Amino acid sequence: MKRPALSLAAALAVSQFVPALAHAQSTPTLEELARKVDQLSAELAAVKAQLQQQKTAAATPLPAGSAPAAATAAAPAPAPASSEPATVLTSYGEINYNRPKHSADAQADVRRFVLGYQHRFDDKTQVVTELEVEHGVASASDSGEVEVEQAYIEHQLAPSHALRAGLFLMPVGLLNENHEPTAFYGVERNFVETAIIPTTWREGGLQYVGNFDNGLTAQAGLTTSFDLTKWDAASTEGAESPLASVHQEMSLAKGHDIAVFGAANWRGIPGLLLGGSLFTGNATQGQPGFASARITLWDLHARWTPQRWDLSALYAQGRSSNTAALNAPPVGNPTLIPERFDGWYVQSAYTLWTDGDRALSPFARLERFNTGRRYADLGPGLTPDALPTERVVTVGVNYKLNANVVIKADLQRFKLVGDNNRFDLGLGWSF
Amino acid sequence: MRMLLVPMALASLAPSSAFAVDYLSAEQARRLMFPEADSFEPRAITLDAGQLQALSASGVPARSAHWTLQVARHAGTALGYVVIDAVIGKFELITYAVGLDLDGGVRQLEVLSYRESHGHEVRLPAWRRQFVGKNAASPLRVGDDIANISGATLSCQHVTDGVRRIVAVVDLARRSGALG
Repeated sequence: MKRPALSLAAALAVSQFVPALAHAQSTPTLEELARKVDQLSAELAAVKAQLQQQKTAAATPLPAGSAPAAATAAAPAPAPASSEPATVLTSYGEINYNRPKHSADAQADVRRFVLGYQHRFDDKTQVVTELEVEHGVASASDSGEVEVEQAYIEHQLAPSHALRAGLFLMPVGLLNENHEPTAFYGVERNFVETAIIPTTWREGGLQYVGNFDNGLTAQAGLTTSFDLTKWDAASTEGAESPLASVHQEMSLAKGHDIAVFGAANWRGIPGLLLGGSLFTGNATQGQPGFASARITLWDLHARWTPQRWDLSALYAQGRSSNTAALNAPPVGNPTLIPERFDGWYVQSAYTLWTDGDRALSPFARLERFNTGRRYADLGPGLTPDALPTERVVTVGVNYKLNANVVIKADLQRFKLVGDNNRFDLGLGWSF
Repeated sequence: MRMLLVPMALASLAPSSAFAVDYLSAEQARRLMFPEADSFEPRAITLDAGQLQALSASGVPARSAHWTLQVARHAGTALGYVVIDAVIGKFELITYAVGLDLDGGVRQLEVLSYRESHGHEVRLPAWRRQFVGKNAASPLRVGDDIANISGATLSCQHVTDGVRRIVAVVDLARRSGALG
């Protein structure tokens, strides 16, 4: 489609050059005349192509209210209307290297490889999907996973209001919906939005999204919930991330309990984001032998990006109700269900150097989180002690090769478990 | 970065995309930017090789030598210019209009259509107002004189890049006398 415009430009450039030649040599040779004929032919072909384009444009139906004057305008380049694809392929990936204090535990991993597509069925309806492979290989003898991360239909009710139905990312925190490696600082996702908010957290259900001119984005809906009946008190998984150990990811998800969620994010001042979210839902799914219990998770977050600074802060807290009844049978096991778990972080990044799309941004992040802040009373000698609070300091740099490729390096220092101290190196992309 | 040029004439004749959430038509946008105008004269600009090189040298990839803008007039007197363009946001096209005063400064930025599931915030008036008064001497870069919107980073960057290109093209055309 671009060829006619380019050849027209070439022909025009050449035609401006031709008179100068004629002045320099009053008697053109046969060879020069032949060249001129070729040039004129090229010009003519380009003009024909342009005329054809204008005829096509004139044949397009005129919507009500269009300016008739515009029909006479020159239109040398093609419009995207006919060429815009209805299907867009998307992808992101992270390849990480972690070298902890004990270098024998160093690890290299294709942390995530994600392929997705978005396809428009019509001007109001699209499907959004992402398929993820974690840890390179997923098989009976490997620890990798293949997951459908998103699969939802979005239907536009009005220009600023939409409904989503299917499996979608929960609008929680700063990372969950924007989790591509180019969107966050550090090789690994922060701990608060991993251990407290189980990023990448998705549920199946129905979601309303409203964007308002005052800068407010409101999201709310009904979804599937967690499944506390699969809590494994013998494993430490629940102490690493209580909710990640009981999320269902819409994989044959128990559907007895329906959860409700809401999120509000305000971006009314350029560079500033203030937001919060709340999720609450029963989580024992009506299973016999399990007392009814509710999981509630909420967060408050802020991000401010004045000029070259990128400052953010987040607090998240989760609660489980009726855990005394749920913890009584497995009492004595190492990991009981916490009544409360929470964490916060503050992060500061500064873009030190840019050259076009390339950018070098050092950052520092301080996190404190506790996956067992409080346990329900089970009686003397039986109630677990609250877990100690971990504090992690991360210092590193993101180097963006362009808007889609990032190279990262950082150092992480753990206050509680010094053996976790590590150096991380990462390569990420997103498009 | 994938971008497409939307010529003014075609954008006026047809919906800017087969798949779009259209907030404004091109006609509505130019009326909004120049309410006092009684006519809009289409004007084609072709940048020569030297001008294309000058654009690239100033860090603005030219993308196309051919541009169409509209000269807003009142009683025959030029008031300013309107350029309609489209850029890829994160995955899909964002169509937008830039209104410029006669001195080449940005008068107004309007988003005509936005198609993506996320990043609608580039439509926010507060974000678009940042562009008012910017000209070819302005950095026009996210993280410099244009603040980012968290969660809509790529849309912000690509629209900002598009506006920077349009401001530079109009500036070159003005200086060369093409807008006489």
